[in-house]
Amino acid sequence: MFIKFLFIATQILSASPDKNTAYLDPGSGSFIFQLIIASLVGGAFIVKTYWKRIIAYFQKFFSKNPKDGEE
Amino acid sequence: MTLEIRQDSTLPLGASFRDPSGFIFKLENRIYRQINHSYQNDYLHLIESGLYAKLVEEQLLIPHQEVLVKAPRPDLAYKIIEPDLLNFIAYPYEICFSQLKDSALATLKIQKLALDYGMSLKDSSAYNIQFHHGKPLLIDTLSFERYQDGKPWVAYRQFCQHFLAPLSLIAYQDSRLAILQANFIDGIPLDFASRLLPLRTRLTPSLMLHIHLHAASQKKYANTKPASNRSVNQTALRGLIDSLEASTNKLKWSPSGPGWAAYYEEEHSYTIAGLEHKQRLVKEYLSQINPQIVWDLGANTGMFSRIASDSGAFIVAFDFDPAAVELNYLDVRKHQELKILPLIQNLTNPSPAIGWQNQERLSLIERANADAILALALVHHLSISNNVTLDNLANFLQKLSSHLIIEFVPKSDPQVQRLLLVREDIFSDYTQEQFETAFNRNFIIHKSETIQDSQRRIYLMERR
Repeated sequence: MFIKFLFIATQILSASPDKNTAYLDPGSGSFIFQLIIASLVGGAFIVKTYWKRIIAYFQKFFSKNPKDGEE
Repeated sequence: MTLEIRQDSTLPLGASFRDPSGFIFKLENRIYRQINHSYQNDYLHLIESGLYAKLVEEQLLIPHQEVLVKAPRPDLAYKIIEPDLLNFIAYPYEICFSQLKDSALATLKIQKLALDYGMSLKDSSAYNIQFHHGKPLLIDTLSFERYQDGKPWVAYRQFCQHFLAPLSLIAYQDSRLAILQANFIDGIPLDFASRLLPLRTRLTPSLMLHIHLHAASQKKYANTKPASNRSVNQTALRGLIDSLEASTNKLKWSPSGPGWAAYYEEEHSYTIAGLEHKQRLVKEYLSQINPQIVWDLGANTGMFSRIASDSGAFIVAFDFDPAAVELNYLDVRKHQELKILPLIQNLTNPSPAIGWQNQERLSLIERANADAILALALVHHLSISNNVTLDNLANFLQKLSSHLIIEFVPKSDPQVQRLLLVREDIFSDYTQEQFETAFNRNFIIHKSETIQDSQRRIYLMERR
């Protein structure tokens, strides 16, 4: 993920200076930026979602044990 | 009591001209929204998908009624709706850090719910979020469009400019940078925010991504048409929202500095019995006015706003200090005080009218809608620190409301002496007699009483 992040940063920051810097069109730049970072944020989201599920599973697993013992 | 908005009836109101989906108009002191035919399918989806009901249930979207009112533009009209009325419209440059942060998080929560129901926010303007019953609420019912698979989030740029940029500038640089929002009506440009933020924010992945790289990308691809064969799938879109949510949550600001501990200074200007007496007087005077809306000017952290709120009124608690407003808001949020709205306002330079034709966002005076003004421990700050004459002050206050509860703090008071320590005393007219004479020109003084163990005096006045 970090390598992907570095790759995106390098890709954008190493760009040759734009000749039309006087006029910014944030709309298209933001659209294209989302296309560039889509796999990064999408991938991070999938990892986070699964990680949460794994944590939730173990929390459930360990929180069940004492109860089982009590019974 | 309704908001006083200056435009003539049935003309689209100043802030409501950009969106072709519809517009707000005012008729007989009530606010309506015309929905145009072009928005019909999106509106039907909003209602029929259950998204509207869900958002209203979660107190995230303003409730409305469909009404039969003559459309101002019948050639375009699909429906007229009447949204619930708000007690006050506040602007992003008037809210504190945590209010802006909560507004940002509410926007993202709304976007997540919208995606669940097959819709997406087509804008994410901080102006569209207002505090109602203590919580951030989306007031633009026409902010939703049906979600198109693969389409990037059209409001991503606006979210970063309206929320992430000012929040990160306050959190990492200086809380006073929040005022930039009044100059940049569509949010702080990201290249500007990127230059203003300290270097260390480039080591914070979330800000590096959504501010610095985003700004660089805007510059690089300014005139480039996005490739039509590339898309952002819904997982990536949800990832983007999740990333923005995490970025927003990480931003923290806690006020610090020498002034931070001094908020109760004014309250320390009284003995315990004196403070109780002042509270009793304010309560008594308020009960005689029985106001629905009160503006507490110089509210500090809101002690007297709470007293006024206990009387059943809705209170807009203005203070010039962002730290005091932050502290007040945190209390409001913690104790769910639904009838207090803390806001930042510098009375020596009140919010101006800004935007297209100076009509998009109204000035403070144009939004005056209070039945009563509380001006406690305020006069000396305006008169001594800012050279406002007593005549001038009376003239300003009579523009804001019909009733006034005001405290006069004489020159002999330690707080005034403190203000005079650092400057020459050029205020020969600053006396109780002159105060009464000046205010008598604009107001009828109904009652007044000196606070116990003090030389300060509280007045109940009514506009002539």
